Amino acid sequence: MFTKFEHFAATSLMGDPEEAPPRKDGHLHFDRDWEKMAFGVAIALSKQGYYEWEDFRQTLMATIKEWENTHELNDPEWDYYQCWVAALEKVAVASGVVKAGELETQMAQLLNCKNSET
Amino acid sequence: MPSNYPGFKYGADRETVSAAKVKALESLLIEKGVITGDTVNSILGYFETEMGPFNGAKLVARAWVDPEFKARLLADCNAACEEMDFPEGMSGAEGEHMRIVENTPEVHNIIVCTLCSCYPWPTLGLPPYWFKDPTFRARVVREPRKVLSEFGVELDDSVEVRVWDSSAQIRWWVLPMRPEGTEGMSEAELAGLLTPEAMMGVATVKV
Repeated sequence: MFTKFEHFAATSLMGDPEEAPPRKDGHLHFDRDWEKMAFGVAIALSKQGYYEWEDFRQTLMATIKEWENTHELNDPEWDYYQCWVAALEKVAVASGVVKAGELETQMAQLLNCKNSET
Repeated sequence: MPSNYPGFKYGADRETVSAAKVKALESLLIEKGVITGDTVNSILGYFETEMGPFNGAKLVARAWVDPEFKARLLADCNAACEEMDFPEGMSGAEGEHMRIVENTPEVHNIIVCTLCSCYPWPTLGLPPYWFKDPTFRARVVREPRKVLSEFGVELDDSVEVRVWDSSAQIRWWVLPMRPEGTEGMSEAELAGLLTPEAMMGVATVKV
């Protein structure tokens, strides 16, 4: 029924307000640039067959559940895209497209670079 | 028990860490040739420029200023889409067989998909989460006036409410009434007044 993977991926998330990405006036709503990039990377990897979209969805739901189990539900630290990034990291590593070690090394480089600039 | 998952450890640098993690992932994937620098942008561009309620808003605004276009839109929504400068394929895909119904002082229309969540995405964008909600789907058919009043739409008893059930064959959406006081507005200004909710029939257009 769906001819556009992007549309399929986004609408499959729309069932549950907890699971659905924030939207404003019918558009996806991103507060920060890294949210956009995480959203796009998650869809791109699935579109190219590195994992099933349903696996990402289930991982996202489990990640949100895990957050809820360890925080008060009105905790102001709640952040949808923090969960998204955590889920993306899990499925990317599980699929083997990146290795956990590589990701940490790359991250450390980026963070050190940032720190040495300031 | 607190989570040991590092993604949930908050510090003052949480933003920096999240940004670095996503950047690290993206650059590794580019290095490996899994994605290119353009992949993410083209996916996001799809949501920003091709599929969204701005398409429906343009159609409605044109119908408000051009009665002949309105007649064509009501008669054949997809053919009317082809008159617009929409991206290729916008009148096809899941938007095929779209139909639009007109609100009038006598009739107020509201859309639902009682089976699942069929939705005219080329014109209205992504469906809101409650559109898929079983309670909304059941209640809007049984007590549409009450549901409408919960959305803030109070209708006079003389107004007939019609509920349109979308399916894989026909995806309905609503041509709202042009509000008073918009006589001097341009087509683009009029388009700016429209919301997805108004084009679903759960809101009216406000100036």
